[in-house]
Amino acid sequence: MGITTKQKDGLLDAAIYAILFCIMMATLYPFYYVLMISFNKGTDSLLGGIYLWPRTFTLENYATFLSDPQWFKALFVTVARTGVGTFLGVMFTCLVAYGLSHRDLLFSKGYFTIIIFATYFSGGLIPYYVVLRTLGLLNTFGVYVIPSMLSTFFLLIAVSFFREIPLELKESAFMDGANEFVIFYKIIIPVSMPLIATMSLFMGVGQWNAWLDSAYFVQADSLRTLTFRMMEIINKSNIPIESVGAAASVSGVTNYSLQVTSMVVSIAPIVCVYPFLQKYFVKGIMLGSVKG
Amino acid sequence: MELESAATKTLTSRERTYVWKRFKKQWPLHVFVGLGMVFLLIFSYTPMFGIIMAFKDYSIVTGIKGIFTSDWVGLRYFEEFVNDYRFVELVRNTLVLSFLKVIFAFPAPILFAILLNEVKNMAFKRFVQTVSYLPHFISWVVVVGIAFSFLSTDIGILNKLLVTIGLIDQPLDILTGANYFWGLAVSSAIWKEMGWWTIIFLASIAGINPALYEAAQIDGAGRLSRIRHITLPGIKGTIVVVLILTIGSILGGGLVGSNFEQAYLLGNDINNSTSEIVQTYAFKVGLADGRFSYAAAIDLIQSVISVILIFSSNTIAKRVSGSSLF
Repeated sequence: MGITTKQKDGLLDAAIYAILFCIMMATLYPFYYVLMISFNKGTDSLLGGIYLWPRTFTLENYATFLSDPQWFKALFVTVARTGVGTFLGVMFTCLVAYGLSHRDLLFSKGYFTIIIFATYFSGGLIPYYVVLRTLGLLNTFGVYVIPSMLSTFFLLIAVSFFREIPLELKESAFMDGANEFVIFYKIIIPVSMPLIATMSLFMGVGQWNAWLDSAYFVQADSLRTLTFRMMEIINKSNIPIESVGAAASVSGVTNYSLQVTSMVVSIAPIVCVYPFLQKYFVKGIMLGSVKG
Repeated sequence: MELESAATKTLTSRERTYVWKRFKKQWPLHVFVGLGMVFLLIFSYTPMFGIIMAFKDYSIVTGIKGIFTSDWVGLRYFEEFVNDYRFVELVRNTLVLSFLKVIFAFPAPILFAILLNEVKNMAFKRFVQTVSYLPHFISWVVVVGIAFSFLSTDIGILNKLLVTIGLIDQPLDILTGANYFWGLAVSSAIWKEMGWWTIIFLASIAGINPALYEAAQIDGAGRLSRIRHITLPGIKGTIVVVLILTIGSILGGGLVGSNFEQAYLLGNDINNSTSEIVQTYAFKVGLADGRFSYAAAIDLIQSVISVILIFSSNTIAKRVSGSSLF
């Protein structure tokens, strides 16, 4: 009797490990595959049959990618919007949250009603587009970083975080004659680093991955982002390219190998910071969302 | 009576000076908050009021002001949408995609969390879990690129593999075939978001009192019955809350990937009959064809249904299980 239960348990264990192993491979292998193909000669990749390691190792995909002004520009715009957009988003959201975190702030009920209502309802994309157009934000870099300056989700989280900061910290600074803005950036920001790290991470990833604004709110070629170029190249048919430049036409670079390379460039920063900032990545979902 | 009202009056005036004093002391804070309110007024509330363009004959060249000055046309655009030759198809696609995602993508993280919880090797558990939510942070554009690498008919590695081992004669047109779109959308949503939502369920499982498991073991409960009688009831509250959130946002795609992004990026001219949903249609009609009022009307229909769904799912959950969001 005892043995059979044990055997049953062992069998169940084996099944569980097998299923989890399959899930893990199904998640990891696509990343590995894309990485492998990006280091394989483009014309060779089209023949297929590459599963475990590159067949014809080459760096020319990356060389072409980086020397192509269009891709390079797209990468630059993406880095810029991520940096600027994240900085503005974190700082502005925290500044507003700091004001709201004051315990006996006048009209605070009114302020919170306005914020919470805005989290539940939105006018949808069409009137939003009209607003962007009226403000003259269309076709400017600003459309990437200005509308995302305030996140109501992180605003509410930041308010409750700032309320936990001991009042004495603030009061002693007040005695020294500091004003509210000085207190905000000299005291509140430095003691709120865990919050700011989480916010930066999520806003940064959001900026890095955004594609809709580059596709529809911008027409200038010089403002296109990496995700937009990637979308463009995925939609193109997979034939050896001539249009990308002289360097490409003599080499084995194809649309497909460039597509895969751009995907690796887009994934790489996230995968690289992932192991180190893992705990902040997890925090995003536990913060405020479900209290159990 | 008079005395009483006089007393209230002096109190209010005294209160008023008190309020003024407080305001003078905290005015910089009101400047900070005020900036935020101005931001919301511009980017949230103006579009909210702007939705009245759905009832008007609006032209984009008139800018924001035009929304208020243009002529009312009543429900003309709503009628037009209902009579649109694609209306039935669009509504069907939206509903089918939304419900398939709830049916298949909602339980996936619960099952995954339960499986992970059964693993005794902590290093393995941690590693699998950490890997599982990596795709959450990848852009949908990249996910579509990965789908292309694996499933396209000419270079898709999975398609080629299946042909090589003789399981199929010809590559399947998964990315372009209308029959495959829903399956493709649901499975890619699960691939991308399952691990992320598992975090919540695992945290909830971690909150279950371990003594319950020990007691059950002493009573001779097997593994499966422990899952059924302890783990599942233990995370019931979390399941209900996540389910409410899912159903409330069901038309947008629930919590597992936005329907819009999926339909837009995985959709193409060939699978359009199953991939076009209300939102992508509104988007194309509005921004590509420039028919703003019509697009706003289509969007508004979906928003109204969504709001109704949020409130009804919340009410039902309150009745059935006692837990609710608001």
